[in-house]
Amino acid sequence: MNKKFMRKVNPYLWIAPSVILMAIFIVIPIFMVFRMSISDISKAGIIKGFAGMGNFQKVMGTPAFKIVLRNTIVWTIFVVGLSTLLGFILALMLNSKFKGRKIARAIIVFPWATTLVVQASAWKFIIDTDYGTLNSLLRTLGIIQANVNWTPTAGAYFAWEIACGIFVTIPFVCFTVLAGLQSIDQSYYEAAELDGAGYFKTLFKITVPLVTPQLTISTVLNIIYVFNSFPIIWTITKGDPANRTDTIVTYLYKLAFYNGKQGQAAAVSVIGFLILLICASLYMISVLRKGDE
Amino acid sequence: MKKRLLAGLLAAAMTFGLVACGGSGSKPESTQADSSEDLVEVHVIAAQYGQNTAEWWSNFVGDFEKDNPGIHLDVEVVSWNDIYTVVNTRIANGEAPDVLNIDVFADYQADNLLLPIQDVVSEETYAKMFPAFLEQSEVDGTVWAVPDLASARALYYNKDIFEKAGIEVPTTWDELTAACEALKKYDANIYPWGIDMTTDEGQAAFAYYTWNNGGGFVDADGNWTINSDANVEAVKYAVDLVNKGYTNSDPANDTRYDLQDMFGAGQLAMVIAPNSLPTYCKDGGYEVNYGVAAIPNNTGASVSAGVMDRFMCFDNEYDDAKKEAITKFFDYFYDDARYSDWVLMEGFLPATQAGAEAMVAADPEQASWIEILDSCQFYPTAKAEWADVKQGVIDVEQQALLGGDVKELLDNLQNELQ
Repeated sequence: MNKKFMRKVNPYLWIAPSVILMAIFIVIPIFMVFRMSISDISKAGIIKGFAGMGNFQKVMGTPAFKIVLRNTIVWTIFVVGLSTLLGFILALMLNSKFKGRKIARAIIVFPWATTLVVQASAWKFIIDTDYGTLNSLLRTLGIIQANVNWTPTAGAYFAWEIACGIFVTIPFVCFTVLAGLQSIDQSYYEAAELDGAGYFKTLFKITVPLVTPQLTISTVLNIIYVFNSFPIIWTITKGDPANRTDTIVTYLYKLAFYNGKQGQAAAVSVIGFLILLICASLYMISVLRKGDE
Repeated sequence: MKKRLLAGLLAAAMTFGLVACGGSGSKPESTQADSSEDLVEVHVIAAQYGQNTAEWWSNFVGDFEKDNPGIHLDVEVVSWNDIYTVVNTRIANGEAPDVLNIDVFADYQADNLLLPIQDVVSEETYAKMFPAFLEQSEVDGTVWAVPDLASARALYYNKDIFEKAGIEVPTTWDELTAACEALKKYDANIYPWGIDMTTDEGQAAFAYYTWNNGGGFVDADGNWTINSDANVEAVKYAVDLVNKGYTNSDPANDTRYDLQDMFGAGQLAMVIAPNSLPTYCKDGGYEVNYGVAAIPNNTGASVSAGVMDRFMCFDNEYDDAKKEAITKFFDYFYDDARYSDWVLMEGFLPATQAGAEAMVAADPEQASWIEILDSCQFYPTAKAEWADVKQGVIDVEQQALLGGDVKELLDNLQNELQ
């Protein structure tokens, strides 16, 4: 009896620590943000009462929020889409045998291993009009005579930020896919070669289907990371000018800590959470269904 | 089996969630109880002004505790980037500090979190402060904070560039436009004029131009006058300087520090900056031959912008012993010699008469700054809407840079405030 009981309880005991940690660091904060989003909060951060949907209505009514939402979607699609494509190509290259492959693999880890703030600061330093290294380099090479303003518009700034986002996301995709590629049995390729399949046929009929699980994982995780990414945009533009480069996360940070509107900031946070939840669930469901077929 | 496991997990997570929530709600009482031991504990959160702040405070704590046995002073130095987040989180958790050193106070006062500052500052110490400074912390006839230091802004210009280009230092807006044009002709690679309209400090630009055009944030009665004609004209003038190519290329992203670096490197001919600019340039390794002048104006009288930081005391229901300890803290801090040391440490301007005298004695050149400080205007930080106005005018500036209509933007902001 006792043994039976222990066997039943045992697994729960083992997972208890992680459940407790998750409850403290994930569940409670989420609960508190939801509570803040429907509360009337003073600038000093004290909950004054129930606000119902008031915070959500105020946020939705601001013209800036539409810009921010659009930016967030553009940011996530471009960074995740392009880094997945480029990371995949890079993984294919690194999987083929060539001299110095180990060094190449090590170099690709660098952007990933560096803190995002450092990365973003470096990019900001490179593209700066007045003291940027890109302008210095081009001037030294004689390609340009006077400094070029690489960020003449807000759109240009945003494009650079997306480029930086792609650069730091590629290594993660690359290594996840590479792990998948290395686990593919070589006999598939030998058989395909014997049957006379070309490079692209092999790629799309063998390689891609077999690394789909890895691609799925990296894409889902990247959607979440990139959607929630704060340091790149904050370091390079702080969302300026006039919210033109803000995403949901930088916008809510400004709302909370620059404007003192913590209730509205929490509402934005909840909206972001729901969008992410829907996106990630849809993606997971569609992929899991495909897996079952 | 899987389902049962999941259900168990969820149930456990929720239970722990509830338990922990209950815990955080009752915490403040337990921290109150700690201070009833024989040592009186005073908790201070102080802003980090620069490299020397933390060390200065640590020496202060050592001296204070030696001279005041029975009081344990706990000073937490927090960087400007985090201080608002830290303070707000503490307040929300019922763990407000006893004394806070920061720039704004109105939000805390509006929530009834503060004690009138004269409840804890001795009359002798209170009398040391410049009255004009104390007025800045007044709401409904009560003063809620005391100034710890100030800084003022003026026009810095690169003497070498001005001499070579053969132009005079501008005092009016017309002269400024003409000077920019001449500088541009002299060397197209130099930016004649620096403008910072960033999220960092764009409200300062708004102040420089509107105050020097007879406008400003509020009228004499303290009502918001954001969309006054003088303000519309002032913002248009500033944006016009940008559009004509007289300024740094990216005013929405070049912070004051970027401008100061450009000025130090000789790439920017004129910039409005605080009195600490020379120290900043020296620390950055720049050697620039600079001159200081009044900010150009459009009315005949130049107005400088003053920035002031404060000490405030949170109402944590003190007993007499604790109140006395806080009073001792303030007396100790504003002790003339110690206070002069504080102000000189990071190159700021003093908020007390004795501090001003000590500063001029140490460096006679500073006398002109004390004069500027005497005539400068301050942001209306005592008003509860200040945070909205501050972010609002920055947004207006940035929208105007993108081609928005200044009048319409300022009208909208003014309407939001009413």
